[in-house]
Amino acid sequence: MELRRYIVRRMIQVIIIFFVILTVLFLLFRWAPGDPVSMMVDPDMTQEDAEILIVQLGLDQPIGVQYFIYLKNFFTGHFGFSFHYGEPVVDIIWNRLPNTILLFTTSIILSAFVGVFLGKIASWHKGKKTDSLMTIGALVTHTLFLPWLALILIWVFGYKFGWFPINGMISEEVWLDPEAGFIAKAIDVMYHMVLPLFTLFLIHFGAYLLIMRSSMLETLKEDYILTARAKGLEEKMIRDHHAAPNAALPVVTSVGLSLAFSINGGALTETVFTWPGIGRELVSSVSQNDYPLALACFLMIAGVVLVSNLVVDVLYAYLDPRIRY
Amino acid sequence: MAAKEKYPMLNSFLEGWSIFKQNLLGKIGLVLLIIFALMAVCSYIPPWINPMYNPMTGVDPEITSCTPPSLRHWLGTDFMGRDILSQLLAGARIAFMVGISAAVMSILLGVSIGMTAGYMGRFVDTLLMRLADMIMVMPTLLVVLLLSAVFGQLSIWTIVLIIALFRWPGVSRIIRGQTLSLKQRPFIEAAKVAGASHFRIIFVHIMPNVLPLAFLFMTFRVTSAIITEAALAFLGFGDPGTVSWGMMLQWVWKTGHMFQAPYWLLPPGICISLITLSFYMLGRAMDEVLDPRLRKEDQTD
Amino acid sequence: MPGINAKQRRSSCRWVLILACAAMLLTGSPLASTASAANILKMGLLQEPKTLNVWRASDRWSRKVVGLMYQPLYVRDPETLKLIPWLAAEPPQFDEKTLCYTVKIRPAKWSDGAELTSEDVAFTARFINEFKVPRYRSKWNFVKKIETPDKHTVKFYLKEPKAIFVSRSLTTPIVQKKEWTKLAEEARKTKKPLKRLLNEKIKRPVSSGPFVLKEWRQGTFLYLEKNKHFFGTGKKVQGRLLGPYIDGVIFKIFGTSDASILSLKKGSIDMFWWGIQPGYIEDLRANPDIELFQNEKSAIYYMGFNVRKAPFNDVNLRRAIATLVDEDFIIKRILQGYGIRMYSIVPPGNAFWYCPDVPRYGEGLDREARIKKAFGILRDAGYTWEVPPVDGSGKVVNGEGIILPDGKPMEKFTILTPPADYDPHRAMCGMMMQEWLRMLGIPAFSKPMAFGALLQQVKVRHDFDSFILGYGSLSLDPDYLRNFFISTNDKKRGWNMSGYNNPHFDKIANESASAMNRDKRRSLIWEMQKIIIGDVPYIPLYDPKLIEAVRKGRFTGWVQMLGGVGNIWSFCQLKPM
Repeated sequence: MELRRYIVRRMIQVIIIFFVILTVLFLLFRWAPGDPVSMMVDPDMTQEDAEILIVQLGLDQPIGVQYFIYLKNFFTGHFGFSFHYGEPVVDIIWNRLPNTILLFTTSIILSAFVGVFLGKIASWHKGKKTDSLMTIGALVTHTLFLPWLALILIWVFGYKFGWFPINGMISEEVWLDPEAGFIAKAIDVMYHMVLPLFTLFLIHFGAYLLIMRSSMLETLKEDYILTARAKGLEEKMIRDHHAAPNAALPVVTSVGLSLAFSINGGALTETVFTWPGIGRELVSSVSQNDYPLALACFLMIAGVVLVSNLVVDVLYAYLDPRIRY
Repeated sequence: MAAKEKYPMLNSFLEGWSIFKQNLLGKIGLVLLIIFALMAVCSYIPPWINPMYNPMTGVDPEITSCTPPSLRHWLGTDFMGRDILSQLLAGARIAFMVGISAAVMSILLGVSIGMTAGYMGRFVDTLLMRLADMIMVMPTLLVVLLLSAVFGQLSIWTIVLIIALFRWPGVSRIIRGQTLSLKQRPFIEAAKVAGASHFRIIFVHIMPNVLPLAFLFMTFRVTSAIITEAALAFLGFGDPGTVSWGMMLQWVWKTGHMFQAPYWLLPPGICISLITLSFYMLGRAMDEVLDPRLRKEDQTD
Repeated sequence: MPGINAKQRRSSCRWVLILACAAMLLTGSPLASTASAANILKMGLLQEPKTLNVWRASDRWSRKVVGLMYQPLYVRDPETLKLIPWLAAEPPQFDEKTLCYTVKIRPAKWSDGAELTSEDVAFTARFINEFKVPRYRSKWNFVKKIETPDKHTVKFYLKEPKAIFVSRSLTTPIVQKKEWTKLAEEARKTKKPLKRLLNEKIKRPVSSGPFVLKEWRQGTFLYLEKNKHFFGTGKKVQGRLLGPYIDGVIFKIFGTSDASILSLKKGSIDMFWWGIQPGYIEDLRANPDIELFQNEKSAIYYMGFNVRKAPFNDVNLRRAIATLVDEDFIIKRILQGYGIRMYSIVPPGNAFWYCPDVPRYGEGLDREARIKKAFGILRDAGYTWEVPPVDGSGKVVNGEGIILPDGKPMEKFTILTPPADYDPHRAMCGMMMQEWLRMLGIPAFSKPMAFGALLQQVKVRHDFDSFILGYGSLSLDPDYLRNFFISTNDKKRGWNMSGYNNPHFDKIANESASAMNRDKRRSLIWEMQKIIIGDVPYIPLYDPKLIEAVRKGRFTGWVQMLGGVGNIWSFCQLKPM
């Protein structure tokens, strides 16, 4: 009962926050000194043409009117037309979203699992060489500058060795070939995904490793572990079946909390590898002053962040009865 | 015994130092940081020797393209013939400036808001902490990116300010906690009885007690500011008049020398990664000094 | 329990990886090219076209692709640059009395098999006028009536004589009436018809050109295949036998030059359709599989002043600054030799309209001579210095603290340039101008600025001192000369960014706009250039050469032309080897 009320309260908060963000950004964009029409550098565009375009794009109307039109469209699932592509923003996002989800979720799952696994081992061998090696390794990889790491990987594995493509998500030869089946296409995508995935993985697994390690160390001090030992259970059993599952809990919550960091990394990775996802679309739409698209991309990302935080909070509240706000 | 009581601050400093000394990571971090600080200081030397070493506008009379390291240019030149080493040194200066300014600004902001929230309680507290939550979860990089579209062009100081605006929540939480516990102390009650205004209580009585903690805590979290600025510059949204490490990476990437100029590609990235690492190590060592609970870890088993 | 799942997952991951590798080996490398079996040209693009809607296609990438589909009535001959009939059958007939142009259309078909008639031409023109399509509106709004006496003849009646009609209006891409009628009807019903039309996504453009769109995978590639209804197949136009002889074109989108040039070297693309930066040229030149083409561009990069603001309203100051520009340095050092000197606003490659007779300020002088000359100009105009750049004995020293004729010291001023990575040449020119001006004691500061913000400040707010900008592809018709300097264009977002205001120039410019006789117009255009270079509101800096790289061994028949080898003639004449 209490949990349900908590969930409802948090959901309302999320919705309010989302609309506050939407409003603030919308107003910021409309008050911005730049406008997309001036970006069209073309000796054929006269000032009359520019003025006509501004009226057509609705940029001449009072802000309040523009805002309400935007809200109205928002609720009908219409996010305006991209200034750059001229297409409905919704189509563009829909087109890019699966690519981001594919790369992003795969990288998080991979880093989390490997991080947890290695953290478990590191804690077990605490103080010894293995532990130091893993901890230092995690620290070093975690602090590497992501875009730079991406460039280095492209240089070494894409250019020098030529093992992987240096950018993009698909090769047109495979996708144009009428005989290429689903498997060939899937393999093509995976082939392109190796380097970006590896980049994200290297940067993120360290954090999970360190969290898992300290969490395990805490857990191993608990009473029920001592009990299990006293009962004469095998060490490996204790580690893997009793300690690890409980120690992994903070890792789960940290995935949610470090989402912002991972999203930044995702946007950078997509840009360097020209992976056609939402992060990259956000960056390029910003540089083109394509406000509707930039706003929609950001709202999508903000929505994901808010919702996942909500999920994490609820999960935490569910699992740990001590926490109630 | 008397000396210990007479100079409590010095005493706790020495105590902290002895703990710190034991921490290998902390020492490495400190050494690295000192190296970078030296780099930042030395950044003034090359342009003073010869204007062609100016990182931004240095024109070598003989070289206007990307060349490998030579006697004249120890790390080679970039695509416009500017000296890469001077750019690297200037980048250290910018990194410190960005990191420290952002940290100071976010501390001041976070302390004020944290104290206000803790002291005022109830509605104000909830509102401010919800705001903090909201800001804390937002991906800073993307927000600054959006804002750069709005403002068209960001100067390095605007970037620092915006980064600071997104870093204060972390500080404010800690400070709020401190304030909550301080609120109950007798000396605050006494001040209230004496008729001191809220403002006075917060800024004259509470602040001196929370500020040291805030500074110690935040100073080693400057890395996110440095990384955010570097990432922004890398994407092309930095201040075009400033030479930062991120800007250097942007130039090597965008001008197509990524594959041909390792002497240009490697140093800035190594610097950003190492400075992040050093602050991180230093931060962890400081955590141990500040929080006695963490120290036990090394002493068990 | 997580422990078990992690183990299981790891082992299953291992199996998936093994299977994937096996599959990859069995199906052969993913890069095995089925496309190269057929004769398909692979072009690399730096950025993705934003649209295939011809009315929206204002960016160069969209124009490159759209230009292979929608064709105009007249195009330029690659050697003489003269306008020759393309969709038209013969040169236009002009009747001075009625101000009527008669154009005959050659027999042609659209890619859907329908015939291309005068109806399509008339529809295009009326469409542009009705909906006020940007970029084309100003070329058609003086046409008062259009008649189509038969399926292959169109008559255009002008309200007033307009010299640009043949070179700008008749080079508008023609669209199919059938394709756009319905869209126009729906647009008329809305409150903002133009917006509606500009936002139309044209999934299957109806093409009259050598190729037609087959597939567009957003973010990665576009595939155009041969248009079997292309009117030029097998015909000789201007002495050239047209194809296309290739089966299709794939446009691959790369985010960076690096990626495309790598691809070119590997052989995965046949040509990179963008200028090669000087950093790559040596490397590509040494590569036996790559051929480099060098062409001139119809482009200009220049330094502009805010003539509305003191002290830039003093023509002597501007002339002195023009004298200080070391063109040699710019061409040799900044452009690495890949550029030509610009003395006028019209590029020299545009031979007919280029006036060779304009004042040449610093030509042939070395640094010291230039400083002395500039010093002379300023001194005679009443400028003084704290430390004159030329001392009493005639020796050149570092000047300091220039003082305006009215006695006040000159305030520091900024030269706005695009950021270094956007255009290293302009950024460097800014830096050099700063140094050269400072040698004369002029307090100049070069300031790189984000491109969008730069345009805002210069074009919209008119809040600047000076800037370095350029136009990468100027039309061959010199009407832009009028647009850049006529006083009526000194508005917010107008083309007169410098604020130049000269009634004499205005008069001649307007005359040139309605001069229907080509030679008469030329003499007016020449006079306009002399006036502008005399007053230098813009100082022409350079015209970069265009270097393009092509892979040898697969295709032959690239046609060199002003603006590069990526022109319609190449596409129509390329043959597989």
